[in-house]
Amino acid sequence: MLELRGLSKHFGGVKALDGLDLTVDEGEIFGLIGPNGSGKSTTINVICGVYGQTAGTVRFRGELMDGQPPHRRLRAGIARTFQNIRLFPNLTVWQNLWVAQNSHQDIARQGFLPRWLGTTRQTRKEIAGLLELADLGHKGDDLAANLAFGEQRRLEFARAAAARPKLLLLDEPAAGMSRVEIDDLSRRIRRVRESGVTVLLVEHVMELVMGVTERIAVLNFGNRIAFGTPSEVQHNQAVQEAYLGSSSPEPRPAGRKS
Amino acid sequence: MGDFWFEFVDITQIVGDGLLFGATYALIGIGFSLIFGAMGKLNMTYAAASLAGAYVGLAAFTFVDAPALAVFLVSALASGLIGFVVYVACFRFIPINNHLAALMASVGALFFVDEIIIHTTDGSPLTFPAMFDYVMLELGPYGVRGDLLFVFAVCIISTVGLLYVLYRSRLGLATRAVSQQDVAARLCGIDVHRTNAVTFVLAGLLGGIAGAMTAAAVGVLSPLITIPLTVKGLIVTVIGGLGSIPGAIAAGLLVGGLENVFLYFRGVNERDMYVLLLLFVFLVFRPHGIFGSAINRD
Repeated sequence: MLELRGLSKHFGGVKALDGLDLTVDEGEIFGLIGPNGSGKSTTINVICGVYGQTAGTVRFRGELMDGQPPHRRLRAGIARTFQNIRLFPNLTVWQNLWVAQNSHQDIARQGFLPRWLGTTRQTRKEIAGLLELADLGHKGDDLAANLAFGEQRRLEFARAAAARPKLLLLDEPAAGMSRVEIDDLSRRIRRVRESGVTVLLVEHVMELVMGVTERIAVLNFGNRIAFGTPSEVQHNQAVQEAYLGSSSPEPRPAGRKS
Repeated sequence: MGDFWFEFVDITQIVGDGLLFGATYALIGIGFSLIFGAMGKLNMTYAAASLAGAYVGLAAFTFVDAPALAVFLVSALASGLIGFVVYVACFRFIPINNHLAALMASVGALFFVDEIIIHTTDGSPLTFPAMFDYVMLELGPYGVRGDLLFVFAVCIISTVGLLYVLYRSRLGLATRAVSQQDVAARLCGIDVHRTNAVTFVLAGLLGGIAGAMTAAAVGVLSPLITIPLTVKGLIVTVIGGLGSIPGAIAAGLLVGGLENVFLYFRGVNERDMYVLLLLFVFLVFRPHGIFGSAINRD
């Protein structure tokens, strides 16, 4: 599904990613964890094309993604959410979902002008489904900026799902969430997976990662230090050291987090 | 009493005429705002490109005898095309953060367009077909010029059409999504370069109509209008609040109305001086424009 080979990303002298190898299989929920500044967000940003890599390759379903702009990668099936929410604040909830329907399938189904100027019953039905996925059915006409924090998170999730992704990258979706919201989120992640989506989850909140993922890779200093099932990773010596060691303040290069 | 009454009628008549003509300023202001809202950059070529569009419309009228209404359509299309060319030449390949380079490139394009107009017309003014200039509506003591009313009506229709596209169509929502959150827009599959190009073409269409309207109301097209129209458009954009479309509409009408008052009291030589004074008043007392702190287009 997704294959990273020798992936490196340097910001000036800082090696945010340093020869990372990673393979995500179709249909799994894959966790990516690591201390702050270990390269998790950079990995996501390189996969979806925000940054070009310094070295190495990104293959998605056998196809080389290098040099492809983000909107093309999205059409190929890679969608993401953001750690710091990035909705379109002055569009309504409904409109946020509408402008995000940019899959190959959506583009092929409608002609150029009908697609850009109007809606069809089909689109409206799908947006209703997405609203339901996000539990925002009653808030369709609210401006995204006026939603509560938890609602904005759910809308981000649904907006990524609107692109009919084959691979969904979740960048710390549980940050700042309550226990109940985290349970809710795991249910939503499983539900998306059941509809045939592969999920790559970057997360600090261990409850979520350990509960929902099947395999986990642990990053530190831009490389993989451990790999395995949740319980294997939890008992890994190198992982424990990395996390304990990370309590000393670590300089974080500018622009590292998107 | 009688003198006062006539004075009052005169002034309100003048303000009314100015408001009607101000609709063209509003269109130019909207065009500047559209592009500023989408890219955070000023397209200095905009007003010149609008007039160039009107020249193409006039050529269609002169050489192939196009019906007068088609003149406005041709002007709009030509100006939309020029908008696209200006986007590609001055904005598309310039790094997104290099505002000064894009600004200077578009100033260059402004003079380039101006030069082309001067060379093809030998710099002499050309008569532009007026529409409904024989109509005069009598409303009590007031007379409403048919051509101005027509200009105003077309401006309103095009503004409503633009607002519909911008706020109700997927196309407009996509351009607004790019202006509100461009990273997320790209990662939601929106092609930023394409929506920016669409914004330039939309603004260009509007500009072509404004250019033709200006020429129709004045009765002539002349390269001498280019710079004043650019300056007026920028004044309207700043008074309306950079990037604010409702602001540009209000400011366009305000400048149009007051301009005529200045003309009435101080004559044509001093008129523009007072318009600039108005700009400085706004820059000092309402630097964010008529409707406050709208930095982005919404």
